[in-house]
Amino acid sequence: MEIEVTSGSSDIEKGVIHSQGVAYLVWEDLTVMLPNFGQGPTKKLLHGLSGYAEPGRIMAIMGPSGSGKSTLLDTLAGRLSTNVVMTGNILLNGKKRRLDYGVVAYVTQEDTLLGTLTPRETITYSAHLRLPTSMTKEEVDDIVEGTIMEMGLGDCADRLVGNWQVRGISGGEKKRLSIALEILVRPRILFLDEPTTGLDSASAFFVIQALKNISRDGRTVISSIHQPSSEVFSLFDDLFLLSGGEAVYFGEAKLAVQFFAESGFPCPSRRNPSDHFLRCVNSDFDVVTATLKGSQRLRETHKSDYLMNMATAEIKEMLSSKYKHSPYATRARSRMRELLATQGVEIDRVKGSQAGWGKQLLTLTRRSFVNMSRDKGYYWSRIVIYIIVAFAVGTLFYDVGTSYTAILARGACGGFVTGYMTFMSIGGFPSFIEEMKVFTKERLNGHYGVAAFVLANFLSSFPFLVAVSLLTGTITYYMVFRARFFRYVFFCLNLFGCIAVVESCMMIVASLVPNFLMGIITGAGVLGIMMMTAGFFRLLPDLPKPIWRYPISFIGYGAWGLQGSYKNDMIGLVFDPLIPGGEKLKGEYVITNMFKLSLDHSKWWDLLALYSLIVMYRLLFFIILKLKERATPFFRSMYAKRTMHKLKRRPSFKRKPSLSYSKRQHALRSLSSQEGLSSPIP
Amino acid sequence: MRNSSASTTAANDVMMEIEANKPQGHGIVVGGLSPLSETLWKEKTNTEFIGDVSARLAWKDLTVMVTLNSGETQNVLEGLTGYAEPGTFTALMGPSGSGKSTLLDALSGRLASNAFLSGRVLLNGRKANLSFGTAAYVTQDDTLIGTLTVRETISYSARLRLPDRMSWSEKRTLIESTIIEMGLQDCADTVIGNWHLRGISGGEKRRVSIALEILMRPRLLFLDEPTSGLDSASAFFVTQTLRGLSRDGRTVIASIHQPSSEVFELFDRLYLLSGGKTVYFGQASEAYEFFAQAGFPCPALRNPSDHFLRCINSDFDKVKATLKGSMKLRFESNEDPLDKTTTAEAIRILVDYYRRSQYSYSAIERVEEMSKVKGTVLDSGGSQASFFMQAYTLTKRSFVNMSRDFGYYWLRLVIYLVVTICIGTIYLNVGTGYSSILARGACASFVFGFVTFMSIGGFPSFVEDMKVFQRERMNGHYGVFAFVVSNTLSAMPFLILITFLSGTVCYFMVRLHPGFTHYLFFVICLYASVTVVESLMMVIASVVPNFLMGIIIGAGIQGIFMLVSGYFRLPNDIPKPFWRYPMSYLSFHFWALQGQYQNDLMGLEFDNSSPDLPKISGEFILEQIFQIDLNRSKWVDVSVIFVMIITYRIIFFIVIKINEDVTPWIRGYIARRKMQQKNGNQKQTIAPYGLTQSPSLRAYVGNNGPNSNR
Repeated sequence: MEIEVTSGSSDIEKGVIHSQGVAYLVWEDLTVMLPNFGQGPTKKLLHGLSGYAEPGRIMAIMGPSGSGKSTLLDTLAGRLSTNVVMTGNILLNGKKRRLDYGVVAYVTQEDTLLGTLTPRETITYSAHLRLPTSMTKEEVDDIVEGTIMEMGLGDCADRLVGNWQVRGISGGEKKRLSIALEILVRPRILFLDEPTTGLDSASAFFVIQALKNISRDGRTVISSIHQPSSEVFSLFDDLFLLSGGEAVYFGEAKLAVQFFAESGFPCPSRRNPSDHFLRCVNSDFDVVTATLKGSQRLRETHKSDYLMNMATAEIKEMLSSKYKHSPYATRARSRMRELLATQGVEIDRVKGSQAGWGKQLLTLTRRSFVNMSRDKGYYWSRIVIYIIVAFAVGTLFYDVGTSYTAILARGACGGFVTGYMTFMSIGGFPSFIEEMKVFTKERLNGHYGVAAFVLANFLSSFPFLVAVSLLTGTITYYMVFRARFFRYVFFCLNLFGCIAVVESCMMIVASLVPNFLMGIITGAGVLGIMMMTAGFFRLLPDLPKPIWRYPISFIGYGAWGLQGSYKNDMIGLVFDPLIPGGEKLKGEYVITNMFKLSLDHSKWWDLLALYSLIVMYRLLFFIILKLKERATPFFRSMYAKRTMHKLKRRPSFKRKPSLSYSKRQHALRSLSSQEGLSSPIP
Repeated sequence: MRNSSASTTAANDVMMEIEANKPQGHGIVVGGLSPLSETLWKEKTNTEFIGDVSARLAWKDLTVMVTLNSGETQNVLEGLTGYAEPGTFTALMGPSGSGKSTLLDALSGRLASNAFLSGRVLLNGRKANLSFGTAAYVTQDDTLIGTLTVRETISYSARLRLPDRMSWSEKRTLIESTIIEMGLQDCADTVIGNWHLRGISGGEKRRVSIALEILMRPRLLFLDEPTSGLDSASAFFVTQTLRGLSRDGRTVIASIHQPSSEVFELFDRLYLLSGGKTVYFGQASEAYEFFAQAGFPCPALRNPSDHFLRCINSDFDKVKATLKGSMKLRFESNEDPLDKTTTAEAIRILVDYYRRSQYSYSAIERVEEMSKVKGTVLDSGGSQASFFMQAYTLTKRSFVNMSRDFGYYWLRLVIYLVVTICIGTIYLNVGTGYSSILARGACASFVFGFVTFMSIGGFPSFVEDMKVFQRERMNGHYGVFAFVVSNTLSAMPFLILITFLSGTVCYFMVRLHPGFTHYLFFVICLYASVTVVESLMMVIASVVPNFLMGIIIGAGIQGIFMLVSGYFRLPNDIPKPFWRYPMSYLSFHFWALQGQYQNDLMGLEFDNSSPDLPKISGEFILEQIFQIDLNRSKWVDVSVIFVMIITYRIIFFIVIKINEDVTPWIRGYIARRKMQQKNGNQKQTIAPYGLTQSPSLRAYVGNNGPNSNR
């Protein structure tokens, strides 16, 4: 019995942009291999799987860890990782086509969200980024509110999402927010990778119930799931049970109990069917039983319990062979043929984003600005540190004067301000890596372009950088140098240039080294080299010509910043000589003879060089991001070609049981997620 | 009575199982102890015969009240009564926030200092004073040293805690038997793994954690969610092992969150909590009937534990309300009685029903019975190894860890070499020209400033070490002093290697002052500076356990020290108050630079600005340009740095001690004061967010702080 309550969904349906096509997904004889170059056999991750998914239904892909559920999901969603080879057909509405972003949406296991925004803001920004520019603000708001309602996010819509320093919404709410972002543009097929992992039973139930509602709107929902509880399992319509890359059962979830009973493995009545299925096909239990028997811990083997006396490998073999000849399989095959015969409606392919470039840029800038202004770690903590350090410098060099020792002191002060203080930019690194993660995810979904991101990031950080350089500049300048206003202006401009260059430099590092610790070390190293070649620690003419003088000291910001700062500070000043009574030293003389700098060009040229460095670094950042994107598919196709070639030469490759192949388990988690960064400071 | 007869038969089964497992032919056998445990206990008590050493834990009217920051109090647990007997495995279950962790903490004496306990916890009929060794506590997170293998981890832990007089072969037998007992044979020689090293699986890690705690053969074992984060097979394995441990005559109590069907079937007793109240306590197998009798029968083909939690998890009310609010809930099955009532109502019915049920009466009766029998006082210190054994083992373990962890010192060695080669090429063959006067100064400043700065790179590994230390300290494995000593000793060879290599590279590329003693001074000074930074970072790590904050604070302190070192601003020009006294004297850069300038420039002659002027002597430069006191020997400077090292280590020691003893006391005091101020205000009974998560976060030593009213 279904009671459809449609009153609330009418305005939600306004969000449907493209034609109300339904998506029938059929896959035939799907085999996925993980080639192993050089040595070692090729692993088969999936063995000739066939199946289908219909609109209006929600399907669970289940199996023990390492059974290939994520691989199947990735294959269907067209997101296979770069190093595997796939054969077989995936057909959408009877046509073979690559499923691309737009028709399908994919919700990954980890929730990459900006922690400083509220769910409502997150959804609104995402909507502005992707919905057509032609839509009015009211229409967009309607869609946003509808989506919030649909995913049951009403209660937490105005709380912060939360990150490692701010406690925010719960894990289940985060997951539902991730789903909400994906269903904004109304995709016809929704894939989810283990949406309930790490959630407690109530949240897990809520997430799956929400997914079921989405499917009832005529969408096709396919989700991999790991150890669902009884309530969650009962929500699924269809079940695809995998073990070791082979199908153990495919069909209606409710009939699976019947199938297992018919095959001779009935589910005990006080048991969760899904626990029972997994228990039957999880070969890890063989290891467990063997070890337990070995250590004589297993004292109470019930003679009747076939699960303890039979290897799961055997059970699995029996089940999958039984399934092949069962009415369930026959029914599935006939339904597949039916679906293949009916050529369905062509689904418009929606591009990742329908918003104009200008609107994307504006939205991104705004979002990024809000994020920066709310995240304490991004700029605020740095501003505080800058002010403290500026006061420290100010009191230490207070009213430096024009004595002989003041020459070196002025030089040191300039060196410290342009050198060490810019070092603090490292403090914003973790926040920046968070933002990069969100960018990578959204870019993968095609939400916006690289240029928009790079520009938006610069624009949004602009006010903060100005604030930082103005504050520090003012404090140090009026405490230490005390000269005319124009020099103060130059001092601030110079400082701003230095900080902006370092910032851009750190972004390049972050885009190349995604690991937090390595990023900090690399960043510190790069800055150290720039500082060393700036002309403060070693005078520019004394620097060894190859490498250090040309090109590093020209690429680094330090040399330009320092030259400008010296010229700004000393030209026109007169210093006391070393021995009292001697001839007074002119600032120009000090610069040319003591600091060995030429006075051929004015300080403004140095400033110009500094600012063009900013532009160049930003361009480099853009190019690196672009290159990373371009290079990935290139390597992917090259790899696949070579593998196919190899396979042809060696048609029978050894099969080795793949204990656990999964991207997740191989990926080493970044240190930042482990080093207490993910938890609030105690 | 059907219930009681069922419970007695179940209890008999358990007893028979224990009987069957008794080792045969070993003279005096007490309380189902394995022969190994028996020797250990004899060793401990030094008596020929020991009585029944099994642990019978009972608690009566246990109420835990927590003071919030606002001064309001909340009851996290309300009037709980129950018991745990040897040979049984008791599972504490309940939805998140129901107080199961708090109950576990209360029973094991690990409550946070702002929590107040009333009621009685009795161990063998006496007021429980659960110190280390008697009760082992396995926390939820596995803090293990990633570079050691499973066998190494266990054997180091054994050497840390087992008595010295026990022979090595005996210890080895104990270690091997523990490995087999926990089913770790297959992975015994695999490394545990850390963030850059792939090691054993999560389930295996959890079992290693348990193995460490059962090494000393405790009679009472507490576990906080031992199966969370594990897949079904590993969870099953862990639970099966725990059941096996209980069958040896131990008392095992574990809080468990959402067990799968297989896991649930392994529980002997079940303590079901919701909102701090008992929903059910009794045989796990009878809970099914209890729920049916109370009007919430478990549907067929359902995991009973899923059903129980579904009934008592009030979050489901919220979920349903939201789903109804979004007008999207389709009512597909209406047979479920839970769809008609709210879970809040269900909880109320169940709690009432339990209070009046046979289960409750028999539990109270049994507790009364247990409290009358005065048994053995189970008391023992944590570690029985001597201080020297502890220090030696810790040093060895820490050394092995450092030599295997690439991120600890090897990575830094590479970075140091790269940086010093950079410095070497930039100042290559610096000479004695006029401009090289400043260059030599800058070179020294860069080496002692920037190079030592890189020591921050070892911070994450050190934080990892601290975590392991905290866990082991909480379980009383060794003393703070042993840790400080061992850490200093084990790091020494690496620091010497690093500074020797990079110092040599730098010295000979730049060609600083010729002469072996000058070279030696340079290297020693570098070593001292790097060690000071290391010690400073240790102090910071003990104060700020957060990784990022630690790095920022460390960098800030070093930046200020560098600023007053006398390079950026000459010593005499530094403003007298604050910056000169005391900051510049606290800065190790200051001493290092003073020493190195003397070491480098003294006795050298430099060209003047134009060739026709006389040469400048190094002494003149030192006194006039760098403003250095030539009367003080450079060796005095370097010994000041060594004094600083010792001072920082002592501070480190003191900080840890303060964290352990003083902080919980202060927190408890503040909490009591706040409570007194607010006394009379109405009490809330709903456990707030976060509070029930883990109030025991920083309660290092449970019975040191005034954390209870006992």
